[in-house]
Amino acid sequence: MEREEEPVEFSKILVSKLLQMHLEEDKTKVSGPAVLLLAELLKVFVHEAAARAARQALTEDVSVVDIEHVEKILPQLLLDF
Amino acid sequence: MAESSEQQLPNTKRLQAAVHYTVGSLCQEIANDKQVSFSKQAVAAISEITFRQCETFTKDLEMFARHAKRSTITMDDVKLLARRSRSLHAHISEQSNEIAANDREEKEKRKRSNSAGKRRSDGDSAVADSEDHIIE
Repeated sequence: MEREEEPVEFSKILVSKLLQMHLEEDKTKVSGPAVLLLAELLKVFVHEAAARAARQALTEDVSVVDIEHVEKILPQLLLDF
Repeated sequence: MAESSEQQLPNTKRLQAAVHYTVGSLCQEIANDKQVSFSKQAVAAISEITFRQCETFTKDLEMFARHAKRSTITMDDVKLLARRSRSLHAHISEQSNEIAANDREEKEKRKRSNSAGKRRSDGDSAVADSEDHIIE
């Protein structure tokens, strides 16, 4: 509850570790601003996933978002990102 | 060899857990906003999708950078990543301008504090202050 005031986002450290894990070539580096921007992109991605799943649940008159709603919005979500 | 693969697994799990935590908080935001609640499996599914999407993003970014004959991934590569949806591209471009402005400001501040240590003149700081206002 007390964390509600500061906006939730992916931490810079987490994003750069995720990048490092998947990078194929070790010599590839990532600039600091790029990490921040990717964190924003990931936040938008999760926001979209959650909001679309919530809307799907609401159109079905259910107030609990379940995995089936996520499944239904997944194809279009992946086409948009 | 065995040691490194043993260490790899918990590391991946740890990152997955960190992603899961952030996704959980973001879902809670949406839940409050839309007056719904998310089941545990739904949150787990979204974080799994996000984790895998990260892999796709990283591979794309690496290729974009290589295509531009760079070895460093920059904000331009991330902008190219968000090319499929027009409004997303607009949002990401806006954010990139903001980040670039913040970055520039911070660099200037650092430069200023460095030069202030060497020579402190009232005229200089007055000029710097007025520049600050223009930026804001």
